[in-house]
Formats: sequence, structure tokens, C-alpha cells
Amino acid sequence: MLFFRSEDLVKAWCEARGVAPNPCVRLDQLWTLATAWYGTRLTPESKRPSPAEMRGIFASVGLSGPFWDPEARG
Amino acid sequence: MTFETQVKLAIYGAFAEDGRAPSAQAIAVALGVSYEDVVAAFAKLRTDRVLFLEPDGRTIRMAPPFSGVPTQHRVRVGGVEYFANCGWDALGIPAALRRAGIVSSRCEQSGEPLTLAVAQDGPEPSPFVFHSLVRASSWWDDLVFT
Repeated sequence: MLFFRSEDLVKAWCEARGVAPNPCVRLDQLWTLATAWYGTRLTPESKRPSPAEMRGIFASVGLSGPFWDPEARG
Repeated sequence: MTFETQVKLAIYGAFAEDGRAPSAQAIAVALGVSYEDVVAAFAKLRTDRVLFLEPDGRTIRMAPPFSGVPTQHRVRVGGVEYFANCGWDALGIPAALRRAGIVSSRCEQSGEPLTLAVAQDGPEPSPFVFHSLVRASSWWDDLVFT
């Protein structure tokens, strides 16, 4: 899970490794994911999101489909 | 509160304090319990995907978003330098600490440095993007690669 200066540089990096690029995430979207995952991590109540909760968090920032589905197989 | 939760909070408290992974012995001393009980709690927390351990089963490699080993993703918060496991976790450290910080990393293709100010309500605008090779369903299959 890495940072890139642009989507074009993601494509170049993937091409050099013979792998298909996946959807890119903007940093404002990533902040929403980071706060959802870790915002309560230092408290007794914290827990990892369930698969259904993960899908909801991803969908809230416009990320959906098999790549973002924690229960997808194949 | 369960014993595993007490151990988890002690681990995360130690990471928050100085950015370094505590040893099982240090957690045992801090909680006044046996080393063996702490190691058993580590195993349970690994099963619950709260911790990722080295092959010895007792050394913390990751307590996401914190990394127990140096990485290219550094986060400075309040004078403490933390290492994150990945780009996502680099933003996760200010989120977990609920404090502003500075993320330092790089573009993986060009090598261009990334220095990102993260306020308590999020990062400053940046053209950088985040990319993962691994789909969500496979993250924990090989967490170091992910």
C-alpha cells in the first residue's frame, strides 16, 4: 500500500512489474478510511470493522466492487 | 475489560509514548502479570487481527497503524517519530493519536519525497494518491507484502 505522485506514475510502476493497476485512492478518501479504522484504536472500545462495516466505509467514499469487498474470492 | 484488551491497551499506549514496539516482558511488568500470560494474549490478539507478530510468536512486528520496525513511512507527532506499515497507516497514526502530525514518505515510482501536514481534521490538499496491489479480502494473507 504505497503513495504515488499521480495516477500516471501508478500505471508506469504497475507496467514495469507486469501487473494491472487497481483503483487509486485520493488522500481525502484515505483519511476517511484511516479515521474509520484507527480513530478509536487507543480506546478500550476499539475493534476492527466487520466485513459489512468495511463495505459501508468503502462505499461512503465511493469505493466498491470486488477489489474492496473483504469477503470477495476468486 | 478482558485481559486481552488490557494487553492491547498497554501495547498501544507504549507505541503512542515513544513510537517503538514494547516487548512482551515490558508489558508483563507494566501489568504485573506473567510473561507467559502476555505471550498467550499476543497469540489471541494475532488471531483477532489486532497484532502481527514475528515468527517467534512474541515479538510485535505490527500493531496497526504502528510498525515495530523502521519503514519508509514516517510520521512525526508532538516530537515523537513513528513508523507506519503503509501509506494508509501513515494517515492512521495521526488518526489514532487524534493529533496533528507530519507524514514523510515518497512516490514509489519517481522517488519524489512526500511531506504531508495532517491536521486533526485531515491532510492538507495533495496530488499524491494511494494504491494497493492487494484486494481487501487478501490483506492478511501476507500482511508484510500488503
